[in-house]
Amino acid sequence: MEHHSEISHNRYNVLIEFAHIHLEFQRPELESVLSLHDIAIGRDCIEVPLPSSIPTVENYRPFLILSFDYHYAKEKFNLDDDGYVIQSDMSRFSKIDRTKPTIASVLSRCTLIRSAIELWGAGPSFDSCVEHARQLSSGCAGRITLENCMKLSSSWKITIHTLGTKFNREEQNDMRMKFAFFNLPGKVQMVNPTNEFLLIREVELDPKGTPLSQERDNFLSPPLAVYYGRVLGGIRDWRGNGRLDQFSLKKRSYLGPTSMDAELSLIMTNLGLVRNGSFCFDPFVGTGSILLTCGLRGGYCVGTDIDIRVLRGRSDEENVLSNFKQFRLNRPDLIRSDNALYHRHYRMNKPIYDVIVTDPPYGIRAGARKSGTKEEKIRAIPEDRRHDHIAQTKVYPVSDVMGDLLDVSARTLVMGGRLVYIIPSMRDFDVEKDLPNHECLEIAHVCYQPLQTELGRRVVVMKKVKEYDPSLRESYLSSVWINGPESAEKCANIRERLLEAAKLKPGYEEKAAYRKKRRQITREEKKKQRAKHV
Amino acid sequence: MRLLTHNYMQSTVKGTERGYPLKIEATKIEFEASPFDAEFIQALLPKIDYTTLLFALKQISENGNADLAQTIIPELPESIKEDGEGEVDEALLKKLHTVMFDIHVVEGELVCPDTGRRFNIKMGIPNMILHADEL
Repeated sequence: MEHHSEISHNRYNVLIEFAHIHLEFQRPELESVLSLHDIAIGRDCIEVPLPSSIPTVENYRPFLILSFDYHYAKEKFNLDDDGYVIQSDMSRFSKIDRTKPTIASVLSRCTLIRSAIELWGAGPSFDSCVEHARQLSSGCAGRITLENCMKLSSSWKITIHTLGTKFNREEQNDMRMKFAFFNLPGKVQMVNPTNEFLLIREVELDPKGTPLSQERDNFLSPPLAVYYGRVLGGIRDWRGNGRLDQFSLKKRSYLGPTSMDAELSLIMTNLGLVRNGSFCFDPFVGTGSILLTCGLRGGYCVGTDIDIRVLRGRSDEENVLSNFKQFRLNRPDLIRSDNALYHRHYRMNKPIYDVIVTDPPYGIRAGARKSGTKEEKIRAIPEDRRHDHIAQTKVYPVSDVMGDLLDVSARTLVMGGRLVYIIPSMRDFDVEKDLPNHECLEIAHVCYQPLQTELGRRVVVMKKVKEYDPSLRESYLSSVWINGPESAEKCANIRERLLEAAKLKPGYEEKAAYRKKRRQITREEKKKQRAKHV
Repeated sequence: MRLLTHNYMQSTVKGTERGYPLKIEATKIEFEASPFDAEFIQALLPKIDYTTLLFALKQISENGNADLAQTIIPELPESIKEDGEGEVDEALLKKLHTVMFDIHVVEGELVCPDTGRRFNIKMGIPNMILHADEL
């Protein structure tokens, strides 16, 4: 019988199960959410290696075990999880409980966590897991954990989570019976029991997250690991429900072609440490999807954009403000201004923003613009037409977009404040050298999200670590790109390179012709609509 | 546009000597209550220009919707007094919160005190874009 002796019952252990997406974002998101509660892995808890029946597992395992000193956990969290359901649908996504939160409420803010259990037993095999669970009460933490479940009024059930393998009812019951030694009082209740126990049979996954075939020569392969524990969050099935309802976000009234997908903006606001009362800023606010998430997390929101049409939206019912209204949030402050001229529009004596989170225009879906004209001669606008004149704009190279973004962030973020932005990346991207730099900012995380074989995007998180000196602005801006124009090129010319890559793919000509035809149809429809209203 | 936002907006049109603070000529004002957090307001105080805030408040009270001004807009003292620990009285913090966060200029214009350049505000969104010849 093997014990996994590193998972000690003298400590309070939590098993986290992640969803199999956005792999690079999972740990940074978890670390960020924990830091909102001033918890640091390594300092306040340790990460324990997962048990494994195979010496080296190449594929990704969506599990993580955090081990807390019991007294720390007792002080920090409300461990008496009596499973009350948090009522208000929006407040649970934003409020950081300054008193003792439950572990579930802390972790439920992570978009990428599927479930978390209070770990009672774990091992590289079924039997070793059972054996480890038998030892639970021998540890000081385990003993108390078990005692807490001995309340007479508690009902319970055991759910079995087996991936890639089917077990019939009899086999499942056999598995459950192996844990009968706990002798829990109270009755078994299938619907909404006080405590739900989860028995997880982990198997190896392929890179896409599909379980590898479990049968070889008619024999069932042994599991990679087996875990048993109590689901945190109590009565309601917290798995997935604690997360902000992405589907309701998708229903928002005003969406544009550049609107951020809901999940990514949720993750970005976590990486930015947005909390109640955070002063949030999006300098390229567009349709406001990211800003909306800041608002949902309790932040006070400011957004700017050079494009008045996007800010004003399609109508009174479909604009950035109506999205906020739809979610019953206080309105954000929106200003039409040019981020390239931030220091001209705004007078900032003291840094004011806690978080700057944005999806800058990088030429793929929305061209970037800044003030100024293409013409050589600059004509003055006659006085009587000044008021309504739409000032001319010219193309704003992506390298400058990024440089200005970093400089504005360095200038306006409070110390320790975070900048979270997206930068498109082709495969040939050197994280060390091709990201923009600023003396006052330090990189905290870089997470890659593949979009297509050629193209992906990176979410970059930076922290302000040094005070900004306005007299050094030119010097800061000239040192943004380590490799000079070459790096800026890489994200600047993504559109062309994307087009080139797409052209080489079969079917491109047909697709392009099809899209052209569709655009024509839409244009004609619009003409007809307008003609009707005249 | 909130008065907090107005607090750090300026005009730097070419040739302007002092484009701050901008005058507010409001034709439509709305009031929208928002959650009050004393700690948050206390932390915000050192970052704003209080004189400008008083100035903005005066502008709103004078030419905004008269009814609104009477019922909702609080009066603010000439200066903020802190107690021995640097803390401000909560009642005052509440008033400051209301002035900075709950008053919205929905329609109107911001006017440069130096050159008279006007920036319009529509749907609560000020348009600060400078023309090519103003850069």
